[in-house]
Amino acid sequence: MNIYSYTFRRLLYVIPVVLGVSLIIFVLFNLVAGDPTAILLGKHASASQMAELRHELGLDRPWLAQYFDVVRSAFTFDFGRSWSTKQEIFEMIKAGAIPSLTLSFPAFFLSTVLAIIVSLFVSFYRGGVVDRLVVFVCVALMSISSLAYILFGQWFLAYYLGLFEISGYESGFPYFIPYVLLPIIIWMVLSVGPDVRFYRTVVLDEIYQDYVRTARSKGLSERVILFKHVLKNAMIPIITYVLIKIPFLILGALLLESFFSIPGLGSITLNAINGSDFPVIKAMTILSSIAYILFSVFTDVMYCLVDPRVRLK
Amino acid sequence: MQKMINLTLLVSLLVGTLSCFKSEGDGSKKTLNMVITAKVKGMDPIYANDRYSNNEIARVYEGLLEYHYLKRPYELIPNLADGMPKVSADGRVYTFKIKKGVLFQNDVAFPAGKGRELVAEDFVYSLKRLADPKLQSLGWWVIDGKIKGLNEWRKKYADLPKVDYGEEVEGLKVIDRYTLQFTLSKNFPQFLYALAMPFTYVVAKEVVDKYGKEFLNHPVGTGAFVLPRFEQSNKIVYTRNPTFRKKLFPSDASPEFKKLGYLQDAGKPLPLLDKLIVNIIIESQPRWLNFQKGKVDYIGIPKDNFDSAVIPGKGLADDLSKLGITLNITPSLDVTYVAFNHDNKLFDNIALRRAMSMVYDVERGNKLFYNGTALAAQSVVPPGIAGNVNGYVNPYRGPNINLAKKLLAEAGYPNGKGLPTITYDTASSTVSRQQGEFFKKQMEQIGVKIKVVTNPWPEFQRKITNRTVMIYGIAWGADYPDAENFLQLLYGPNRSPGANGSGFNHQTFNQLYKSASIMQDTPERTALYEKMNRMAAELVPWIFGVHRQSYVLFHGWLKNYIQSDFDAGVAQYLDVDLEKKKELRAGM
Repeated sequence: MNIYSYTFRRLLYVIPVVLGVSLIIFVLFNLVAGDPTAILLGKHASASQMAELRHELGLDRPWLAQYFDVVRSAFTFDFGRSWSTKQEIFEMIKAGAIPSLTLSFPAFFLSTVLAIIVSLFVSFYRGGVVDRLVVFVCVALMSISSLAYILFGQWFLAYYLGLFEISGYESGFPYFIPYVLLPIIIWMVLSVGPDVRFYRTVVLDEIYQDYVRTARSKGLSERVILFKHVLKNAMIPIITYVLIKIPFLILGALLLESFFSIPGLGSITLNAINGSDFPVIKAMTILSSIAYILFSVFTDVMYCLVDPRVRLK
Repeated sequence: MQKMINLTLLVSLLVGTLSCFKSEGDGSKKTLNMVITAKVKGMDPIYANDRYSNNEIARVYEGLLEYHYLKRPYELIPNLADGMPKVSADGRVYTFKIKKGVLFQNDVAFPAGKGRELVAEDFVYSLKRLADPKLQSLGWWVIDGKIKGLNEWRKKYADLPKVDYGEEVEGLKVIDRYTLQFTLSKNFPQFLYALAMPFTYVVAKEVVDKYGKEFLNHPVGTGAFVLPRFEQSNKIVYTRNPTFRKKLFPSDASPEFKKLGYLQDAGKPLPLLDKLIVNIIIESQPRWLNFQKGKVDYIGIPKDNFDSAVIPGKGLADDLSKLGITLNITPSLDVTYVAFNHDNKLFDNIALRRAMSMVYDVERGNKLFYNGTALAAQSVVPPGIAGNVNGYVNPYRGPNINLAKKLLAEAGYPNGKGLPTITYDTASSTVSRQQGEFFKKQMEQIGVKIKVVTNPWPEFQRKITNRTVMIYGIAWGADYPDAENFLQLLYGPNRSPGANGSGFNHQTFNQLYKSASIMQDTPERTALYEKMNRMAAELVPWIFGVHRQSYVLFHGWLKNYIQSDFDAGVAQYLDVDLEKKKELRAGM
């Protein structure tokens, strides 16, 4: 099967998955969560006004019709308006995507590159003091709560030393840069621990393979073996690990965006959850599931490209 | 090693260069930097049902009336109205003259982009918008059943595809270009307060028609500040309205404000600021740090920073005083309480309610949850408004464990024997849960068993509305400075989904409320309010908690700042001393 027909066939899987996700969302929000009108109308809601609003939101229509609306919005991306802010949800998502990406993309890219380099480095010194020290540091970094890094970074680096902005965001390049520097650093500190441990394991799995011994016996340098042979063969788990994280980058970083007042998708989602803004939560759930499927397909295709042994079926 | 040094230098250079991109704003302009803690719901007055949206809307839009900035108790004064209204002898017809020459802000919705003059018809249109059944405004309750013919108009169009704004409503009349008349369907003395609320602020039909559903992102009012386009972001930037009418800083004030020198700017044209930046910072740490760095001009003290900012018995901490920061303490018009569900037969037993009230240690709760800053509530009406009885002590205000035990025995449950476990519902936030646990511990002292149930806010509201709770902890903040707004919480016919969530229904109380609610502000009405307030204390429909106080810090360069429960529109009175700001910020 060629790559195009394989991709097409995998993309068709999006349809049943979206239908299933829509059903779960519909059941959770429409049947389990109950009537949202009291929350939307606030402390002065009257019974008649609640009934009017229920009618206006279409909540008094048959369940099947309401389910069809959720499915339609999943395929057309017309998610309607936020119950809380009355804004077009698609516009909200468009506006939030860029601030999220200005934080998450560089942070993810830098932390991945750093983690791969460190893991190759410690694999080179496997079992030695450097390896043990790095693993210890990684475990230590992972053991501290993300909130502690955020609070400390904000207080010490931004407030006390004045090296960064405490919080905020300015749109447009390069104005956003000072505001995302500290969150990027914190993101890197947070992810470098688990990433290094994962990549180190992957590299060590490869390093004991026969082809590495062969390369060594041929007299190749350790650097060439690591970067040219081991890294290439370790690419499949690395690609899986990296690509599957990308949909979550698009969705933003909830805590970092909230603490640093970055108006991204993470803060939109958090705000929607706090305000019981079901249409926004529905939209974010549907989009994240679609993004997850698309990146799964992309991951499979990448396997084929980086490893000729992989066959698409 | 040299490589490492070079790399460090490079990174330092990069950070330094990037720091140059910080937008600090124009230092020569008077800019106020504010902070709010939640997203704004958009800029349409009819949806302004929370304090944040209220305040943002009031920077651009205005209403017929407003609260005097420098007077306490709160006093209504004309804003867009040209004087207070003429009220008919029966108290049902209000005739307003509106100011001439007031312009809507410039916008492409108007011919040649120039804002037109405000006329009486705009108020009729705006109130019909508030009543429009298709728009589902969140402020309909303000005028629901109050204006003659308006409910019928609303009902008529509920099931029709389009609403006809041209159809006349008996209670909303334009007498001439600058005269407006409201006829009420029943006496409602609080009507004037409604006209000071952002829900009733005036909008222009052309702008609503031009932007349609996007109107909430295109605020065009008559107010002191302009916001060309509202975006859901972390910052809202307003500039001075160049076509704002001649409105002056007040020349009169309550004695306490006169004494504090708040009349220094008397007679100066408003607004005093050139620019207003509203930063949305949800988390408390960055809010607090930004304030300490001088990037925010005033701030409500976050709970976690209270102990470092305020020293008990002394006031503001020295390190903050040295920075020129001032502490402002103002009682809030609110009440916290634990309500009994009066549909539950168990709570028909007044001795049980009194016993539970008598064991509750409100002062300890105050220390634990409000840093000891709140005032113990003796009944439902907070201090600062007519109806609160100065010096009155609730006879069932504890803690008095012996008396509580005695009352519990009288109720038929000696030491709690035979009493089922009572569920205490609350919201799922950490503080609410802690308050629930504290309540449980208090009740244990007399053998009353409590089970704390935390709920997500929507579920909590739903349970109260459907009255599937036994008791629940909640608070109420004033919509307007009138005891009626608090006493209605105990008026039987107002049971949920109305504001009376506990379903308390007492015949005498209801009759008194009914009589008082249609009376003008007279000593007789105050006497009725006081009587109801005492009754509420004695009948124990709720276990009364506290009236909170707001603790606000502001920097030395901020002028004219006063904390208010009704702070819509107050930014126009604030000012920034640029010289002082430069001097004080140098030391931060």
